[in-house]
Amino acid sequence: MNLTDGKIWTEDIPEEWKRLYVGSRGINARLLWDYCKDPDITWDDPRNIIIYAPGAVTGTTAPASGRTSVTTVGCTTGLYLKSNTGGHWGAELKYAGYDHLVVHGVAKEPSYILIEDDNVEIRNAKELWGKDIIETDALLKEWHGEDSRGLYIGPAGENLVRASSIHCSLYHAAGRGGGAAVMGKKKLKAISVRGTKPVRVKDPKKFAEVAQEMRENLRADSGAQGLHEFGTSGSISAVNEMHAFPGKNWQTGYTENVHPITGQALNEGGYLKRRVACFGCTIGCHRYSVIPSGPNKGLASGGPEYETFGALGNGPGIIDTEGVLILNEICNRLGLDTITAGTVSQWAIESYLRGAISLEDTDGLELDWGKLDEVKQTIEKMAFRDGKLGNLLGDGLKIATNKIGQDSYKWAIMNKKGLEQSNVETRSAKAYALAFAVNPRGNDHLMTETFAEFGSSPEAVELIEKLTGDKKWASSHFTEFRAEIVRWHEDCYEITEALGFCVFTSTAAFGVNPDNMARLYAAATGIELSEEEMMLTGRRVCTLEKAFNVTRGATREHDDLPWRLMNEGAASGPLKGETNSRAELDNALDQYYTLHEWDLETSWPYRKTLEKLELKDVADYLEKRGLLPKE
Amino acid sequence: MMEKLLLVDMDKCTGCKQCTLACSLIKEDLFDPQRGRIKVLKKEDIALGVQLVCEQCESFPCVASCPNGALSRDEATGIITVDEKKCTSQGACVDACIYHSIRLHPESRQPMFCDLCGGNPYCVKHCVPEALTWVDKSDEMEKKKKKLRSARMAMYRDLKKEET
Repeated sequence: MNLTDGKIWTEDIPEEWKRLYVGSRGINARLLWDYCKDPDITWDDPRNIIIYAPGAVTGTTAPASGRTSVTTVGCTTGLYLKSNTGGHWGAELKYAGYDHLVVHGVAKEPSYILIEDDNVEIRNAKELWGKDIIETDALLKEWHGEDSRGLYIGPAGENLVRASSIHCSLYHAAGRGGGAAVMGKKKLKAISVRGTKPVRVKDPKKFAEVAQEMRENLRADSGAQGLHEFGTSGSISAVNEMHAFPGKNWQTGYTENVHPITGQALNEGGYLKRRVACFGCTIGCHRYSVIPSGPNKGLASGGPEYETFGALGNGPGIIDTEGVLILNEICNRLGLDTITAGTVSQWAIESYLRGAISLEDTDGLELDWGKLDEVKQTIEKMAFRDGKLGNLLGDGLKIATNKIGQDSYKWAIMNKKGLEQSNVETRSAKAYALAFAVNPRGNDHLMTETFAEFGSSPEAVELIEKLTGDKKWASSHFTEFRAEIVRWHEDCYEITEALGFCVFTSTAAFGVNPDNMARLYAAATGIELSEEEMMLTGRRVCTLEKAFNVTRGATREHDDLPWRLMNEGAASGPLKGETNSRAELDNALDQYYTLHEWDLETSWPYRKTLEKLELKDVADYLEKRGLLPKE
Repeated sequence: MMEKLLLVDMDKCTGCKQCTLACSLIKEDLFDPQRGRIKVLKKEDIALGVQLVCEQCESFPCVASCPNGALSRDEATGIITVDEKKCTSQGACVDACIYHSIRLHPESRQPMFCDLCGGNPYCVKHCVPEALTWVDKSDEMEKKKKKLRSARMAMYRDLKKEET
């Protein structure tokens, strides 16, 4: 649909795309390339599109297959942005009969989209604008029924804040990269969906068999069991023991008494009200937490996740269960990505302590580690761009470090692309380091993840052996074979998302894999792809995403890591003093680009590479713009 | 063969809807949450799922409520069957069910009843968190089933009260 002129239409997905790109993230990448490859189309240009797409098998009993990819030109980096969310919204869109919702243009007035099967309308959102996530969801359900499912932005997205996140089903979010600001710019507040049509697959019997195999794998998997019992934050104690849990803006890796900010503390302290699943998920790692007593009794929200306990707990030094629950609840209400909100807050604290920003710049807030009330106010200011501090932080670290200058980039935990890093200690995890550096949307774990390199389960060790030839490489401090590990995980992660699976099923737990995904896809669609061909669709999409960034001027120098991690050693632990040094990263990048058959100097894909992946038209466009490297 | 019981525990339900989808798959070869004989009442704001399903109960008010006598009950199993020729889709049984478990099929408009898949409920296999379990019948398990059911019904009433 086009918000500028109100036109609404449907198109069939070309059959060929289902073989080349499968679905969701893959087809989204193709759509974004087709509509927005011209680099004049910046994130805030009316020609930028935003695409919402559940997976190829969303809405079925394939376990944990209910996820949705959201793709656009990102506001935080100005580059390719895919963000992915759980919840129950994507399945509802599928039941309404749609695979991809493509939104063009900019509305004149605040608007929301209503989808009830074949009835699709663009409606006035005057009454929703300014409302927080909870209020917005309640109003949409009041108007369109308790069974409708909502996706929306909060005040942060309306205010074009870089840390804003797109929420759906209240507490689930396509959080990273400022997709919510793209919606804010389009004056698109929300999308309410109700679908009542069945989803059919080609061969139900075969499909059920493969889905059962996946389900039983996950049932038996220790990682999946841990995720159900303690949530994503159940791993914090173990990460902390590795001295790899970032604290005080990545100046520490170990926190003496970390227990209050772990999933175990949620269970033991009576905070965990319910274990919650996204649509069709047999793991159920999400939490719904409530403060059971005391002055904040009754405060409730979804989460907190590992990343939130990191970015808003250990990061700013809030080693306090209720403190993080309070900050998490504010972010869930205002529509903020807890990772970016936390990382930006930590940068502000350190900038103030170092004298790079003054008391005037903080609007009188005396920032320091461990001050809950100050962090709370910082986050609220950020969401509303309130005062000097709110305006500075609302733009994210990429812009804020330019404004403040001095050496403030040295403690800004982002790479050259400009997205704030998620809470993985890349100095002691070398495949993660490479994966973060080459991630097209900036440095985080949500375009690919290489959890297997820790070798923390027999399945992980077996996978590393398969990829490197020897199980001895299943340890995260090695620099050998990291490019091979990253590239395999890129492809696997991509097809996982294209089908709609949660990436935990294939890269954190081990129940879904390229082989059973290929068989499932064949049962669902009749499109027979071998395991290798399925993985190649992942490679194709990753290369297309890379090519998109090439049009925006991204080169090898954008594939780096935060200054602090490249230049300052880890503070303690077995890898004390370890960095992601330039030399180490360069070596990893050389290997990675070589594997991909990309040019070492520019990092750009060659024509022959693109043509091998059936992306000849992409090569032609890049050549026209002088962006093809010489072979 | 040992008699069995279906236990339905709300506290373990994550609201994922696998059970409903599994039911629509085994009964109709497709995926549709509206066609599950078991349904999950989902309250997103409090992250709650309440499972509602025919309990093969002892009072079966649905049978008496039908003005056409379209429903009959198997005395041994408690399973309700619909006489398609007699059913006129008025939905009296939907209102009569004290466990709020009956829905009309979106296409045929006939009420749907759980038949426990003839003694091997397909939904149970899909419920990894074990909110649904298929256990050997005993006095203790009968008691537990009723206790779990009371908790679900109390929650259901609370939610409906809130709505009005």
